Amino acid sequence: MTTQSAAGMPAPMRFTVDSWDPAYGSSLEFEDDLSESTARVIVGAEVPEDQWRPIPAAPATSGPSALLFVDGVRRIEARVWIDGSPPSPTDPGASAAMCASYAAGVLCCCAAGAHLLTTQTRRGLFTIAPHAADVVTSTGTYRASKTSPSPAVSLPMTLSAALQRRLGDLELATAVAARGGLNGHAGPPESDLLVIDGPLRGRQHLPRAIGFIKSHRTSYLPPPLHAMVAALADGERTPVFLMGTSWDRHAWYLRLPCPPGAPWSGIVRIECSADLPRADVITLASMSQATLCRYASTEYKDPRAPQNLYPIAGLERELRRRLGDPRLLYRALRSAAVA
Amino acid sequence: MTDQLNALGPAAARPLAAQITARERQPAGDAVDSQPAGAATGPPAPGGVTAVGRVLGTEDATPLMFSVALNQDAYLQLDDVVVTVRAVPGVGPVMTAGVVTQVRARHEGASFGSDVFLISEGVLPAHVQEIAEVTTTRVEPECYVPPRPGELARRATGIERAQALYFDDMDHKVPVGLGRDGSPMYVNLDFIDGTRGAHVSISGISGVATKTSFALFLLHSIFRSGVLGARAVNAKALIFSVKGEDLLFLDHANKRLDDDLRDKYARLGLPAEPFASAGFFAPPLPGDLSGRPHVAGRTGGVTAFWWTLAEFCSRELLPYVFADAEDDRNQYTMVVHQVAARLRRDAGPAGTDGAVVIDGDTVRTYDEMVDLIVDKLSDEATRPDWAGPVTGLGTINAFIRRLRSSLRALRTVIRGDLPDAPGREISTGNQQVTVVDLHNLPERAQRFVVGVVLAAETARKEAAGPGSLLFTMIDELNKYAPREGSSPIKDVLLDVAERGRSLGIILIGAQQTASEVERRIVANSSIKIVGRLDPAEAARPEYGFLAASQRARATLAKPGAMFVSQPEIPVPLAVEFPFPAWATRLSESVPPPPAAVSRPAGDVFSRLPRPTDKPDPADDDIPPF
Repeated sequence: MTTQSAAGMPAPMRFTVDSWDPAYGSSLEFEDDLSESTARVIVGAEVPEDQWRPIPAAPATSGPSALLFVDGVRRIEARVWIDGSPPSPTDPGASAAMCASYAAGVLCCCAAGAHLLTTQTRRGLFTIAPHAADVVTSTGTYRASKTSPSPAVSLPMTLSAALQRRLGDLELATAVAARGGLNGHAGPPESDLLVIDGPLRGRQHLPRAIGFIKSHRTSYLPPPLHAMVAALADGERTPVFLMGTSWDRHAWYLRLPCPPGAPWSGIVRIECSADLPRADVITLASMSQATLCRYASTEYKDPRAPQNLYPIAGLERELRRRLGDPRLLYRALRSAAVA
Repeated sequence: MTDQLNALGPAAARPLAAQITARERQPAGDAVDSQPAGAATGPPAPGGVTAVGRVLGTEDATPLMFSVALNQDAYLQLDDVVVTVRAVPGVGPVMTAGVVTQVRARHEGASFGSDVFLISEGVLPAHVQEIAEVTTTRVEPECYVPPRPGELARRATGIERAQALYFDDMDHKVPVGLGRDGSPMYVNLDFIDGTRGAHVSISGISGVATKTSFALFLLHSIFRSGVLGARAVNAKALIFSVKGEDLLFLDHANKRLDDDLRDKYARLGLPAEPFASAGFFAPPLPGDLSGRPHVAGRTGGVTAFWWTLAEFCSRELLPYVFADAEDDRNQYTMVVHQVAARLRRDAGPAGTDGAVVIDGDTVRTYDEMVDLIVDKLSDEATRPDWAGPVTGLGTINAFIRRLRSSLRALRTVIRGDLPDAPGREISTGNQQVTVVDLHNLPERAQRFVVGVVLAAETARKEAAGPGSLLFTMIDELNKYAPREGSSPIKDVLLDVAERGRSLGIILIGAQQTASEVERRIVANSSIKIVGRLDPAEAARPEYGFLAASQRARATLAKPGAMFVSQPEIPVPLAVEFPFPAWATRLSESVPPPPAAVSRPAGDVFSRLPRPTDKPDPADDDIPPF
């Protein structure tokens, strides 16, 4: 992964670490939902539009034997500048890049309790410099991940999106690995339910998987139906609707149990694959209704309650812990840059 | 490095070396770090000993105290002995061994108390982590570096355990009980017999602390473990018993002795047998003129003891009558010594039973002696001779008042009216263990007996030289050597505490509260032992040798559990000593066959015919008469 100099000898990549705290540069977080504003919505996926009513939880829906929560975390460790190749005094040609750590993991809630199934931690150097090489530090190696720049998108956005893609890939790989390694320890095979924190995009092919979206930026439903969402009681959901943006999926809104407050407090949107038969989608919707409410957090324990489910909060905490101490990593990066 | 290993002993060297080479490196948190979560199970350490965990890194590890995070499938309990080894550049492997002084467990990943319900319901993930705090006992070789976080820690067994607790350095080991791991714990005899230190101090609440039982077990261990070698023949024990007749059955086997108990004794390398050679002394029965001992449970093999009036006068025993702390603050001590000197000069023998003639008056009882002294002090003519020429009347009256108040206590043990018997004098000469039963005597008489006997034994040892050992066990030491004031008995005890080491007199003192005993006696005790303590007492500085957690534990120690502190080991050892193999009361007694009954040579009952037809072996060995 090292660049070759003209003489054929590997020339070490030169880079410097921006002395600013990486948190200052990260105001432009990658927002997955930003582009979703003009969605096609088919509201009659479960019941016709005129029969839309809040659907209470079915009294005795047999839940999944195990709930698998999938989540990932990312953290920018440092913004770095990669010197041009070949470096020259007149034109350093330095290009901005970022070193980030990211991790994904799967948490299993089953009869044995809530426990981590697997976690994977990665560190990466995200750059557009074609000659970028891995950054080796005393605390780990940042694998170079090269992205082609896009004139329409700012560089930080491009790098952030690249990081998000990698994280998504890792989450997917982790989820598949966790399911494979389940070995039926929690009930019969194929009786589990995979809950992915965030949209399902790119992961629709996973069986028995739902996406769990905590925050809402766009109203997808026509106004009368949109108003009905705010009228949902605890544990009630809307009928399933089909929505399409850059990708298609089934979705429904669910109100998690929470103290009465703002109209949309406690509302989450749940997604599942657009390719599933209608009956399977309704089963998944009832199942989500019956199981997820139990995991809703309380407001004094979690600032994002109740949507930030307890297992997901715990999983994120575990993953962040596995990312390592940011000060230590930053120090290692700086000493690697000087070396 | 090889030298260092050899210094640790050949058997330890192999696991150490293998340990260093096989030491796992922590996976660096680099590119791919995939692991099944929560699976902190221990890799088997070399040498067949499974590591119990690793040295913790979130708390400071110091050479004197460190913590160990435990594997999920392992545990450590208080008092377990733990060892960890690290490599030090230029020094080689350094072993740090210690004793677990605290263990704690908590949920990691939970921040609210109520999270425990979410965790048990399977909603919130958390990890239960147990952490053991280890107080270092030994660093070998002496390179005081902290154990490094991440190093494997394992339970110490065999030679490593002996090293950790310095047992390997002890040339003369006295087993004092079993550790929590079921292996023997030892005390260095050098710190008992006067070689490098002497005296034992045992503290604890009456009834549950089992101080007397432990003292007896310690004596049994010293006498029977073979640690004394040839000295065992001449080693003696003098026991003052103040609590009932519990100690009058030392030479009888215990009915409750079963295979389990025998096994415990066997593990300690001790015979599960009663004391083979024991003599028992009790005061004479009040109001009885034949000199029978005042005991109820055991009627045979107990000798009555008393002092004759002739001895009282000639040995100047009068000061021991005034042995209260309050006596010290009064002027009349001058009178005491004056009268004592007068008695020594003026008393002449009368008859063969120890009566005396003073100025022509025959005195046969202590009452008569007191009356005589009072008469002499009240008479204007004799007063200057007996009390000193310038002694004030008030002082004399105070003396008379105190003297009269001693009548009830002392009239049974100071006699001139009993037929003299050769074995009545308390002596440790004829048996290994001498028990003096004081429980029937008033406290003032107890003090008198302890003071007189100790003074006599000290004088005897002084004359005989330090060739043999005399272990003197005194219960309720705070009564005889209280922190405040001074008295003749306290002087004797202080003398024993400070000089006894060179004389071969070893004090085994037991008391409820060490804080009420003369500081110099406690300070001179090399071995400090604590049973169950009162919580308020446990907080006193006298127990500073206990670690904080041990102090807390001492307040709930079970009978049979003791903390033993000795100079060589920085942490007191928690031991459990086995139930006595000898009877501690009549109902437990299995009397020995008649031929084996040990009798002091001067036993007044030895002339009586021995019963040949015993109705019930569980009954007392000699029918009451």
